[in-house]
Amino acid sequence: MSSLIFLLLRSAKNTFLELLRKPAQLVLWVFLIATFGGVILLSLFTRQSAENFADIIWLKGILLALILVFVVVAIQKGLSNGDVIFDMNDVNLLFVSPVSSRLILMYGIVRMAKMAFWAGFFILFQSNSLGRNFGVGFDAVLLVLLGFILAVSMLQILSLLIYSLTNGRPGRKLAVRLIAAAVFLPLITYLGLQLIGTGAPLPALENTLRSPLAAWTPVAGWASEGTVALITGDMGSGLLFLGLLVLTGVLLILYIALSNPDYYEDVLVATETAFEKKRDMSRGQFNTEGSLTKKVKVSKTGIGGIGSSAIFYKHMRESFRANRLGLWGLPSILAILGAALFSLFLRGEDGGIIILLQTLMWMQIFFIGTGRGLQELYMHYIYLIPGSSFPKIVWSNLEIAFRVLVESLAIFWIAGLIMGEPVLLIVAVIAVYTLFSFLLLGINYLSLRWTGADISTGFMMFIYTIAVAVIMLPGLVAAVFIGSMFGENGVLIGLGILALWELVAALGCFALSEGILHHCDMPVAKTGKQ
Amino acid sequence: MIDVQDMTKKYGKLAANDNITLSVEGGELAVLLGPNGAGKSTLIKSICGLLRFQGSVTIGGHENHTTEAKCILGYVPEFPVLYPLLTVAEHLEFIARAYRLDAWENRAEELLRRFELDDKKMKLGKELSKGMQQKVSVCCALLPQPKAVILDEPLVGLDPHGIRELKAVIAELRDSGCALLVSTHMIESVEENWDVTYIMVKGRIARVCRRTDIAAGQSLADVYFAITEGEGREGAR
Repeated sequence: MSSLIFLLLRSAKNTFLELLRKPAQLVLWVFLIATFGGVILLSLFTRQSAENFADIIWLKGILLALILVFVVVAIQKGLSNGDVIFDMNDVNLLFVSPVSSRLILMYGIVRMAKMAFWAGFFILFQSNSLGRNFGVGFDAVLLVLLGFILAVSMLQILSLLIYSLTNGRPGRKLAVRLIAAAVFLPLITYLGLQLIGTGAPLPALENTLRSPLAAWTPVAGWASEGTVALITGDMGSGLLFLGLLVLTGVLLILYIALSNPDYYEDVLVATETAFEKKRDMSRGQFNTEGSLTKKVKVSKTGIGGIGSSAIFYKHMRESFRANRLGLWGLPSILAILGAALFSLFLRGEDGGIIILLQTLMWMQIFFIGTGRGLQELYMHYIYLIPGSSFPKIVWSNLEIAFRVLVESLAIFWIAGLIMGEPVLLIVAVIAVYTLFSFLLLGINYLSLRWTGADISTGFMMFIYTIAVAVIMLPGLVAAVFIGSMFGENGVLIGLGILALWELVAALGCFALSEGILHHCDMPVAKTGKQ
Repeated sequence: MIDVQDMTKKYGKLAANDNITLSVEGGELAVLLGPNGAGKSTLIKSICGLLRFQGSVTIGGHENHTTEAKCILGYVPEFPVLYPLLTVAEHLEFIARAYRLDAWENRAEELLRRFELDDKKMKLGKELSKGMQQKVSVCCALLPQPKAVILDEPLVGLDPHGIRELKAVIAELRDSGCALLVSTHMIESVEENWDVTYIMVKGRIARVCRRTDIAAGQSLADVYFAITEGEGREGAR
């Protein structure tokens, strides 16, 4: 046992010392902690009048939906490789050591709880918005985090158990799928009946959330009900549901430890897969399609183009091979459906399409990196192809430019029609969204050019996010200021100004990052320990 | 053909390559040896234009970032990185189109046959083993018929047939006038054909050794261990 405690404590100490040796990371952490402190202070001093607060049941709904996503992921992981609770160094050093496998499992679970905390870390930054929307304090935020950590930790154990019970047994896998469907079927049926009964989505959702079925739905229901009960002061319900979560987790651990002390094989595949994925990324294989086990059918073959344009045609071939719809795969369809659903809720609300635009722009900041153009920078080919830098960059980003343009046309026309927005406003919103993506690409290249790509991925993301905020600020200020002078047409004019600023700023970024392929190191995804 | 003058590459305060000067002429096989962390891969990536550096690197008299230099340079990276959703044949087609090659099909067929990949043409990059990926990587580098080829640990992961073929290809390239720079830990694999060896230690070239410099009965391994295991580091530059 002492060796495992030594490992945990020494790892924590070395992580801290490593942080002190890297000033950039230290600054990032200080900034993060300062932001966190600021959020707490803000939540303490900015209380709004009670009539503005939404019903706490919607907080339960948000938590339920969030944990449901983790439930689905945990079951899927359990049915494929299991969850990652160990690192490769644990496998190589601990598993072969004379330490009891049950103690090693406990060590894995402690590390897993740490991962669950980091997964829920973003909740701590929601203090202000939770206070503003639901009138709750920072204590409630901590309770939400507690419920989330308990649920995610329990799901990781469940995932491990599912893998150990179903590995190589298709019959059992089917049984797990059927059981999972059966567990959530009552809640879905109840929601459907409520929709038919009330004829409106919001009341149907509210009735479902208030029903005992939602509270008793395993994991997601228990965690959301227990957390909200504690927030509202209902200690009995709170302790009952969170206790149920803890008890289930303990029973699962006991089952694994007592029935299957030789669980090493069950955790090995997930650990090795995660290790190889990280290693491939650090070697330039940034494309996640490489690690997908899905069988890809090769029908049409061949690549078009000549010189730099071959990069674009190669991307087209890869995209059509990855998705039947080519550039617009499942994520695009989900984005369109999600936006349509969101529009149903925003229908009749003033400025609904602007709220949708804001949300999608936030998401785009982080999704723009999924384009093949930026991923190309992590491989050597684009650097070695004869030709100047600029055409290679342009051709390698055409794929994502097309994808965003067509996605935004579909998303905002459908949403605009649902919300009954004027045509000109829809066109302006499409322009702002599409040009924002163009600007994000420019900022990405500028960040790489400016830093020489010689920094960690996390710090690069930090610089990129700050750069987006700084570069967008003048455009936003001008749009709001000038738009406010034009009364009824102000929104349209403001959007026009913002679109124009995005175009100018994007061109500026591309101009400043000229020669990036010659003036920065080929970036390496610094994925931490492997 | 490959000319490196006073090249320094720093990561913060650490000099991964410190004032390196080397040259490889056409028809010459230069071997880059050194212990782990000596800076061999950094030097190779800098020569290929993948890293920034201070100093000068030219390929065939052209600065390494120019189109002229890229047209005559072939590079086999330490770890093969293929496009997971392109077939083996499409990798070669992509290179042919990007490099604007004419009548490349027969050459591609010949390379695939030599490396026993002719029956794997329709396999996707992600379906290949590491060794096969390495073979495709070699084929991609050699397809444009480069005049200078840089290979970073090219034999790692190859099966015996692949090793034999690659050694034969390297010999043929040298005989045809191509300049070759090979980084390897498998000293015996280059023992037959090497012309000049650069032994790197801690980011610097500790010794330049020509085949004519070594005494009868002395092997390249003897020279290497004499430098890296402390029997004097003469010739450091």
